[in-house]
Amino acid sequence: MRKVYITGLGFITSIGNEAGSVSESLRELRHGIIQYPPFQKNDIPVKVAAPIRDFQTNTTDPEDWIFPARYNIRREALRGMAPHGVYSYCAMQQAVEDAKLTEADWSDLYTGLYAASAGSPFLLTHHVERMRKVGVMRCPPLGVVASISGTVNFNLVSQFKIKGASTGFSSACASSAHALGFAYDEIALGRQRRMFVVGAEDGNVESILPFAGMRALSLQTNPSIASRPFDVARDGFVGTGGATVLVLEGEEEVERRGAKVYCEVAGWGQASDGYNVAISHPDGAGLRVAIENALKYSDITSEAVDYVNAHATSTPIGDLSEARALKAIFGHSPTRPAISSTKALTGHGLSLAGAMEAGFCALAIREGFMPGSAHITQIDPACDGLNIIRSTLPHRPNVVLSNSSGFGGANVCLVFRAA
Amino acid sequence: MAQAANNSSVTPLKPFTPEDDVNLREALKRCSAATYEAAAQFRKTGNNEHLPAIVLGIIERYVEPDLRAKLKDADDDLRVIEDLGIDSLTMMEIVILVEDVLQMSINNEELRYLRTVGDVKTFIECKVRGLPLPKPTKFIPIEQIMSIMPIQPPFLFLGEASVNAHGANAKYKISGQEFFLQGHFKDNPVLPASIMLEALGQLAVLFLLEGQVGEDGKVVDHKTIFFTSCEGVRCHRVCKPGDVLNLSIKPKRLKSPLATFEGQIRVGQQKAATAEEITLTFGFAEEVVQPVQSAAPVSVPAQAVVNG
Repeated sequence: MRKVYITGLGFITSIGNEAGSVSESLRELRHGIIQYPPFQKNDIPVKVAAPIRDFQTNTTDPEDWIFPARYNIRREALRGMAPHGVYSYCAMQQAVEDAKLTEADWSDLYTGLYAASAGSPFLLTHHVERMRKVGVMRCPPLGVVASISGTVNFNLVSQFKIKGASTGFSSACASSAHALGFAYDEIALGRQRRMFVVGAEDGNVESILPFAGMRALSLQTNPSIASRPFDVARDGFVGTGGATVLVLEGEEEVERRGAKVYCEVAGWGQASDGYNVAISHPDGAGLRVAIENALKYSDITSEAVDYVNAHATSTPIGDLSEARALKAIFGHSPTRPAISSTKALTGHGLSLAGAMEAGFCALAIREGFMPGSAHITQIDPACDGLNIIRSTLPHRPNVVLSNSSGFGGANVCLVFRAA
Repeated sequence: MAQAANNSSVTPLKPFTPEDDVNLREALKRCSAATYEAAAQFRKTGNNEHLPAIVLGIIERYVEPDLRAKLKDADDDLRVIEDLGIDSLTMMEIVILVEDVLQMSINNEELRYLRTVGDVKTFIECKVRGLPLPKPTKFIPIEQIMSIMPIQPPFLFLGEASVNAHGANAKYKISGQEFFLQGHFKDNPVLPASIMLEALGQLAVLFLLEGQVGEDGKVVDHKTIFFTSCEGVRCHRVCKPGDVLNLSIKPKRLKSPLATFEGQIRVGQQKAATAEEITLTFGFAEEVVQPVQSAAPVSVPAQAVVNG
């Protein structure tokens, strides 16, 4: 098996639109949550969200959209994109620049792209409504590729001229963690030399509010405490969107290019709850096995883990399940490892979450810090025995886990190690 | 919506309501003000004179800004895909907007042959006026050219070609392997001017054979076509191996037994040669509709050779 490294990152997130500001927000525990204007209506009980800044994508016509001037996207490309297609494109641009790659490097048979998003409910409903109103033959020809799940891989693969493996992953909030895991496999098995991993979401009314129906969203009005994983008063998650792109490269490629490295991807594991379509297993059974598998396949003991970036989304049931899974693995020591959920800062990015938090872990390892778990006033007693850190620690973690759990009880654990 | 355009009889105008106006402005918000003006006038009066401005204005809106200059002084031969970078999906976007603005329906089949700005304009005009649609431009790949033409390699100077009622276009890439380049000139291969004229003559032959020249099902007999004369031939540019010649001819007079064409050769945007008049003689086959295909006359001597 070949060693796999993270060599490039790109972020469009609620806590920063490039690695520098993201890292700063993580360290200083600056959140990206606001009272989201489209939610301020009487019939919407949810008031907060974590939108991304410097982009305006709230109309159905991509030619109206506004994005930072450094990104040049032609109309021809734009017309097939959802809002999160634009975020992904920008994050991709950052990632290739960060990894110092040129098109000659990546547009070959050995570079692939795995992506995850839930598609764009915003554009999908618009196009379906239009179809009903003006007729089947008057729909924009690229309405389908702009809105269905898979839109991110369709767009990036064609625009960046990717010629290796490509597909999309669809396991809800575990999607982009799955994408990263399987991308790791492609390189470790020698099938590809380099993989782009993309997680993205629109993070707008249509992608966030449906979760209100299942009572999963926080009804808090105060943005500073709305997302508070592991706090006893947590009442649901805060929605967000954006995109993260990671560049994974095999050891030969890293050596050949002399690429700078954030960290190694040491391995990953997954397991399913086999329990409920939307509720996580009360003991976190699937997640526990996913973590065990991840450690086993990475050949790392639980004692060696320094930091866990938890999935914890700030829902009452979900955080509890994860706490129990973590206790089952790390119960032997109340001081190790350090655990935090960065969703207190970013909100929950759904299909974006796995890739975004993997990117945070890479930053933490390279820059030498462990971000705290923000907004905890009173920790849930169910977390007793876990070292949930409330402020950022200025130490470099050597081994880091990142958890993700999705609908249907899909659980993924990714393992990163300092290079 | 307005199926009216499909009827051959003239239908009364639908009233143009303030709501229609709002929708029209919204639909054309990324087009020039002149495009909206023309469309509003058309919707109010049904006057077809506005059609070219509307259609060009809509096409322009979908052309990348750096290519729009080409449309400014475009002739009808400007190719939608090759010259304007419009792909088939963008063509669909154009059609949907045209349908919306002109209140008409266009089906996919009708679109397949719209290759030039002229094709599009003619097509829309015929649709709106309820006239029968023009014969589409026919695209003829090299294999088919060889089976149609009495002239054969190594003396055939046409690659892919297209023929419609108004003329014919073809490309020929000078490979450098042409036998005469060995001696023309010593250590300096240059395409002879006589060959340029020959290539244009060959394209005229293709037009006579494929361009629906005969009426009442009469077809031109390829054995009857010969060169007669040429006038006003000028060469503007030396053509060498690697150059791609863009050949075009247009009929000026067509009356059996004589057909007179004007011809032009471009390399990229540069004019390479022009001929004010190339005249061929031709005759019709005795019997109606004899497929010329299949029996490719392999050993037929070149018949439209120009004596340069």
